[in-house]
Order: sequence, then structure tokens, then C-alpha cells
Amino acid sequence: MSTQKKRPYHIEAFKHRAVGDPKYAEKTWKVLEHAIHEIYNHNASGLSFEELYRNAYNMVLQKFGEKLYTGLVTTMTSHLKEISQSIESAQGEIFLEEINRKWVDHNKALQMIRDILMYMDRTFIPSNHKTPVHELGLNLWRDVVIHSSKTQARLLDTLLELVLRERNGEVINRGLMRNIIKMLMDLGLPVYQQDFEKHFLDVSANFYCRESQKFIESCDCGDYLKKAERRLNEEMERVSHYLDPRSESKITNVVEKEMIESHMHTLVHMENSGLVSMLVDDKYEDLQRMHNLFRRVPDGLTIVKDVMTSFVRDTGKQLVMDPERLRDPVDFVQRLLDLKDKYDRVITMSFNNDKTFQNALNSSFEYFINLNARSPEFISLFVDDKLRRGLKGVGEEDVEILLDKVMMLFRYLQEKDVFEKYYKQHLAKRLLSGKTISDDAERSLIVKLKTECGYQFTSKLEGMFTDMKTSHDTMQGFYAILGTEMGDSPSLSVQVLTTGSWPTQPSPPCNLPAEILGVCDKFRTYYLGTHNGRRLSWQTNMGTADLKATFGKGQKHELNVSTYQMCVLMLFNSAERLTCKEIEQATAIPMSDLRRCLQSLACVKGKNVLRKEPMSKDIAEDDAFFFNDKFTSKFFKVKIGTVVAQRESEPENLETRQRVEEDRKPQIEAAIVRIMKSRRTLDHNNIVAEVTKQLQSRFLPNPVVIKKRIESLIEREFLERDKVDRKLYRYLA
Amino acid sequence: MHKLGRGHRDKLQQFITITGASEKIALQALKASDWHLEGAFDFFYNQPQLKTFTDSRHLEELYNRYKDAYVDMILADGITVLCNDIQVDPQDIVMLVLSWHMKAGTMCEFSKKEFIEGLQSLGIDSLDKFREKIPYMRSELKDEQKFREIYNFAFGWAKEKGQKSLALDTAIGMWQLLFAEKQWPLVDHWCQFLQARHNKAISRDTWSQLLEFAKTVGSNLSDYDAEGAWPYLIDEFVEYLNENGIIQNGLINDSSLKW
Repeated sequence: MSTQKKRPYHIEAFKHRAVGDPKYAEKTWKVLEHAIHEIYNHNASGLSFEELYRNAYNMVLQKFGEKLYTGLVTTMTSHLKEISQSIESAQGEIFLEEINRKWVDHNKALQMIRDILMYMDRTFIPSNHKTPVHELGLNLWRDVVIHSSKTQARLLDTLLELVLRERNGEVINRGLMRNIIKMLMDLGLPVYQQDFEKHFLDVSANFYCRESQKFIESCDCGDYLKKAERRLNEEMERVSHYLDPRSESKITNVVEKEMIESHMHTLVHMENSGLVSMLVDDKYEDLQRMHNLFRRVPDGLTIVKDVMTSFVRDTGKQLVMDPERLRDPVDFVQRLLDLKDKYDRVITMSFNNDKTFQNALNSSFEYFINLNARSPEFISLFVDDKLRRGLKGVGEEDVEILLDKVMMLFRYLQEKDVFEKYYKQHLAKRLLSGKTISDDAERSLIVKLKTECGYQFTSKLEGMFTDMKTSHDTMQGFYAILGTEMGDSPSLSVQVLTTGSWPTQPSPPCNLPAEILGVCDKFRTYYLGTHNGRRLSWQTNMGTADLKATFGKGQKHELNVSTYQMCVLMLFNSAERLTCKEIEQATAIPMSDLRRCLQSLACVKGKNVLRKEPMSKDIAEDDAFFFNDKFTSKFFKVKIGTVVAQRESEPENLETRQRVEEDRKPQIEAAIVRIMKSRRTLDHNNIVAEVTKQLQSRFLPNPVVIKKRIESLIEREFLERDKVDRKLYRYLA
Repeated sequence: MHKLGRGHRDKLQQFITITGASEKIALQALKASDWHLEGAFDFFYNQPQLKTFTDSRHLEELYNRYKDAYVDMILADGITVLCNDIQVDPQDIVMLVLSWHMKAGTMCEFSKKEFIEGLQSLGIDSLDKFREKIPYMRSELKDEQKFREIYNFAFGWAKEKGQKSLALDTAIGMWQLLFAEKQWPLVDHWCQFLQARHNKAISRDTWSQLLEFAKTVGSNLSDYDAEGAWPYLIDEFVEYLNENGIIQNGLINDSSLKW
């Protein structure tokens, strides 16, 4: 059988055109160039994008990328030059519209061209570090169209003109503006900034400089600020409509600088309309506007704060230094509270609760309240007035509000210990006379004082309340046991006061009427029988009495009098006529007290249950007094010589001051000893600083007084000076 | 006797005159300080005194010579006799120095213990030695540290028994006596100020701090710190000086001080 050899099969590849055929490239480019022309001439619908894409693809593939790219640049440039000329020839307002329309066309063309040349964009262009097609198109538009010598300046002027017209109240084509601005942004942020924004800001600065000058000359402060605010809002609105958002802070800075910063001082100090006028007239809206606007410029709020502070200090200073105001402590304090309320409202409603302003207000109040050394006394008198009657019928919540306001003023006092001394005096009178409207309100205030200044500050005040409670229980016990024996004796109500807690003054014993003495002795026996080791002394200068009296025509009245007045009146049960001298001898009431006593019994119209010869205001020792049979009154109950807290006379005030100074010495010494006991060794300046720090919640210690206390402690051998360093003190255990 | 140059001999004589030391001790001090007088004084005063032997019997005799007839103490009369014997005025400041050596508790009184132990510490057991020692005691006032000790000792010595403070008149007398040695230019103004403005007793602290004030502040008060640790009375004194034009721009402006 024979074998047959198989012949191998061979297929020859299809032959392409030769690589680098210039004729091919030229021919292909012509096709593409024609297409670009058609695209720009709005005849793209007849083009085959697949064919064009393939042509571009082939050119790049066959190493004709450079020719393709160069051709593109040349062709686009020639078209843009035509476009530029077309824009330049546009008349009037058509100019912007023409730019916009051409720009839209250019972008469409650019999109198509980029799609056709996508392969080149992905390969040839990166490899050769050339500008991508789209970006190239934008750059050419910028360089050929926007930056042409005629168009560039005209475009800017046109844009600025439109802004100006809008500022002057005209309605402009914002959509068109938005498009043009967006074009500039699309060309790149630097184009926007250099071609428009910079000039816009400069022109705006000039505009607002001139406008603000005109406004400042023709408007009052409130109106000016309204205009400034409106301008600010307009610029922000303009940005939101057609400028780049990044321009907002720049243009608002311009407005702020030209309309606010440049005229801050003028505005604030404008007569009849500036900050002070706004404050005086409670122009909350204007103040708020000022705060909002001035906050936007450096030091703006500082100026507002300083002027407000200066004005508040002056106002407060006038208030606390006005001799007329000093006559009525309650009114004095009420005006302080009103002043604080007013400025709190300003800060709340107009100054956004700005902490800086709150602090400034606080330091202003602290400044002027302490200018008047009587402020502590007056605040206490205000409290006294409110707790006696001012808060009668007022709801619990409102009571708390008022007490909190009082505490606010108290906090400003630098001499809180002076307040405490007066408060104690006034509280004592309220408690002993039963005139306080509310135990709860009294205790509430004491809790606040304790919170503010510590337990030690209020411990004696609380002791006073304890005494009142204990006394009430004691009297109940007294009458429970002895009530049946009392018969027709006068009723007695005793307050047992702990020595040291109450602001007692030495009370020389006076001669009580026999009827009163009897019941007093019974109480003494009872009390000392149930409390071993106690000592009782009567404080007759602090008591009150109710007397039943029958006058000439049989009319009856109940008289509310002081204990001293009771002693005097009871004498007339058995005497027709008595001289001042005789009354003094019979009662042993000190002459100065007696004179005041008799004055209120005989010289006050409507309360003159005694008759005096001669009829004069002054009381001499030989003046004669008679029971006034002709006394009449509309009221059954007649109150005579009410013990009401009054502002001290100058000598009394001086005396209280001296007592305060005396009370401070042991406190300063105690502080020094506390400090040295813990430190063992400390230098002079640090002792002074530490003592001041420890005591300043009550009062500001005087460094000279501290120095004297140190000397006293050295003399009494609690401290000694270091042998080597004379400024160093050592504690001696 | 060593043969000395004239310069050295002069210094030796000067040292002996001032300190009352023996020639032997003087030579020792001057050689130790290389013949500088100031150094020699420092050396001399800082040397612990040799415990010179003193005859107890002689001391006893001295004490008995001056002691009071009824009280076992030397009182004012005895001190007067003592001053006579050693040829010193009772008002002389050297009596204060002597009292300091004796650790006397109070002025015009020496207990037996104070007298005898004091003289022992001075190496004195005879009137001759006592007289020899006077210049030495006087010279101790020139030493700054000893002056301070004597000054502060004077307060307790001069004040009334049982009192804490020094009576103003006594204090003024003491200041005039003491500052006659130290030449503090403001002493007269200080005394006038006290009589015009203070009129109260002087505390120990004020007394001792015044010496510091005199030394530290001297005649230049421009840097006086009124808020510093000086006693308040000194603050008031400076204020007084300024008010009366005695001090202007921190410098003394008193024509009586010009010479």
C-alpha cells in the first residue's frame, strides 16, 4: 500500500497601507478639519462620528498625533478669532448676550470635538505633556476671545456697570450675569479673580466710601446703620445670585470697612442718635443692628462696649452721688435695680447676651455702687422696706425674683460686712416688731447670703431666727403653766435674745410700771427655773406695748407705743402735770431717748396723746406735759412712734463705720494666724496677698491695717521676724 | 620689745588706743591681718576671748563694795560708786555696754550673778583691770554686729519691768545716746516726729526695725517701700519727712545738716 505526503497550507496576511504615508495623513486631516468647521457652523448633524473618531484614531496610531494636535489648535483659533470679531462688533447690551451665546456654542463644539479626539486625549496628549482638548479649548477662548484687547476692558466695564445699576435700584438681567460670571469661573479661578473680582472689589470700595460719606452727612446713626445693613444684605444676596461664593467674605469686608469701620467713632458718638441716645431711649432694634454690624469689624464691639461702659458708669455715678437721691434709700436702690434691668434687657435683646458686655456691665456696677459708702446700708433698708410691706401679697415666685436682684447688687459690694451689720440691725427690728411679711422670704434671703459668703457670714442671722422660734415656745410654756394665775395682769410677750447674735446696744435699765414689773418677775422666775446658769437683762429700748386709753369724752383707743412711751404714759394715770425733768426721774429713761419719746407723744399732729406747754417742737427740761383729754382720732388703733428702720444720720453712720473697722481687726488677725499656722514661714507681701484673698468675699482689707495686725501679733509673740531676712515672718507655736 | 618701723609702730599704737588691748594681743592681730587696721579689728573682735583667770575672792570683794545694804543686789547708789571708782559718767554709753556684758535684766540694777559672771567674761577682778577694760568696751560699739546686739539689748534693759513696750521718753533718750555713736542724720527728726505725732510707747519690733531702717535707707528714701514690711510708724515717719520738706525727691533737704 503506498503513502501520500501532505503539503503544508499557507495563508498570506491582508496588506495595509504603508506606515507614515504623508498623503494619507494629509487627506485624513482634511476630513477632520472639515468636520470641525461644520461643527462650529452648526452643521454637525450630517457628520459621522464613528468615521471621524476612526480617522483621528488612525492618525494617532500612525504617528501623526502632532499634526492632528497642531491642526486642531490652528483650526479652533481661527474660529475663535471670527467669534471674537463678532462679539466686538456687538452694540450696547447685546454685547453680553453675544458673549454668552457664543460661549454656549463654543462649549457645545468643544464637547463634540473632544468626543471625536478622545483617543488622542487618552494617549498622545499625556505622553507628550500637552494640554487636554477641553482645557485647550477653554484656554483658547480665554486668550483669543476674552482677553482680546477690545473685549477684555469692555467686558469688565459692562459687568461693573450692571452691578452699579443694580446698586442704584435698577432691575438687571441676573441670569445673564450669572452665566458670564460662571464662564469666568469655568476659565479658572485666577481668571475670575483677575478679570473681575479684583476690580469689582476696588470699584466697590470707592462706591461705598463715597456713599458712606454721603450717608454720614445726611443720616442719623440709626438710619445710617439701617442703610449699611441693607447694603451688606444686598451684597450677600448678589453673591448668592451670580457671584462666586468665595467672593462673599471679600465683598462684605469691603462694605464693613468702608461703611462701618471707617465711621465707627463718628457713628457711636453721634449727638442725639448715637449709642448713648439709643441706650437712653431703649432703641433695642437699633442697638441690635449696631451690635451685629460692629461685630463684623476689628475692635468694633470694643468701642461699643467702652462707650456703653463709660455711659453706664457716669449714669450710675450720678445716681449714687446725687444728694437728693440719698434722702430716700428705697428709691435709691430701686433706681439701681431699674438701671440694671434696663441694661440687662439691652444685652439680652440687642447684644445677643454677649459675655463681654455682661462683664463690662458688672464691673461698671461694682465701680459706682462702691463709690457711695452708704450703699450697703441702703440696700439693707430696701430689703427692710420690701420685707415689711413692699412684698405683701406678692407671689412666691416674684419674691424670689426680687431677692435674686437684691443679691445681684449685694454681690457688687466690696464691703459686704458693712451690709451684714446693717442687715442685722434691720432684721432685728423686723423680727422684734413682728413686722416681717414672710418668714419664708426672710429665710430665703439668708440662704442666698450663706451661699454667697459662707456659713460664718450668716450664722448669727440664723441664730436670730432660732431665738424667735425658741422664744415663741418659751412663752407657750410660760402661759401653759402660769396662765391661770395671771388674772388681770397685762399680757407679756418676751423675746429671749442670745448675746452676740443680736445687734444690741447697752441698755440702761429704766423703771418699768409696777404692773409690768410684776409679770416680768414671774417670767424671770419661770425662765431661770428652767434654764440653769442663764442671766437675763431687759432691753427696754427695743420693746413695744399696746395700751388701752380713755379720753375726755369717753372715747376709747388702743395705742401702739414703744416700751419707753408706755413708761411715760402710765405715769399720767396718777398725775395731772409732769415736767420733762420729773418724767426722767420717774422713769430713768436717758434724756436723749426721752426727748425723742416725748416729741412723738406730744408734737405729732394726730398722735398727740399728750399736751405740752409751751407748744414748741423742742423739748426743754422744764417743759410741762399733760394728758390730752381733747385727743381724737378716726382710728380705734393708733400707732405712735413706730420703730421703723431709717437711714442713719451722719454721726450714726460714722459710729457704725468705726464699729465695722473694729470688727475687721480680729478677722484680719485670725486670717493671719490661720495662714501662718499652715505656712510656718511667709514673707510680708505674700501674707498681705493671702489675707486679702481670704477676706475679700466680705471686705477688702486695707494693707496698712494688715501691717498693723502683723505688728500686734509680733508684739504678742505669735509671730517673729526672721533673724536674717527682716521681711520674713515665722509662726511661733 | 621688737624693733618696729615707724608705720607699724603708729598702727600698733592706734590699735591699742582704740581697743585697749595689750601690746602683745595687738601685735598678734596686726600680724594676722598683714598690718591692715580694719582687718586687725575684725580679727581681734572675732577671736574668742581667752578665759582669763579671775580671782573669785576679789570679785566677791568688788561685789560687796557696791551692793546695797539691805538687798543682795547692786542698785543705783552702788552703780554711782562704781562709776566713780572706774571714772565713768553714769550716763556714759559704756555703761550700757557693761550692762550688756553682764546680761543685766533691767536698768540701774545688777544682781550678784549678773555682776560676777559679767566681770568674769570680761576678765576683770580688780578696779585696775576694770579701768583698763573701759576703752575696749567703748570700742565694741564700732563693731556693727556688736552694736546691733547692744542696741537690741537696750530695749529690754531700758523698759519698765513687766511692761512690753518702752516708754517714749526713755526710748528717745536711748536713741539719742545710741545714734550719737552711729551718726544717723535723721535721729533728731525721728525724735521730733515721735513727740509730735506718736506720743505712745515703742514696741520691740519698731525699736529693732528702726536700726535696720537707719542702716538700710540711710539718707536716701527714694526707694522706700511703704507697702513693704516696715512697721507702720516708720511709714508715717517717711510721710512726715516728705510733708515737711525734709525729704525731697528722696534726698535729705535739711540745711542744718550742711557743714
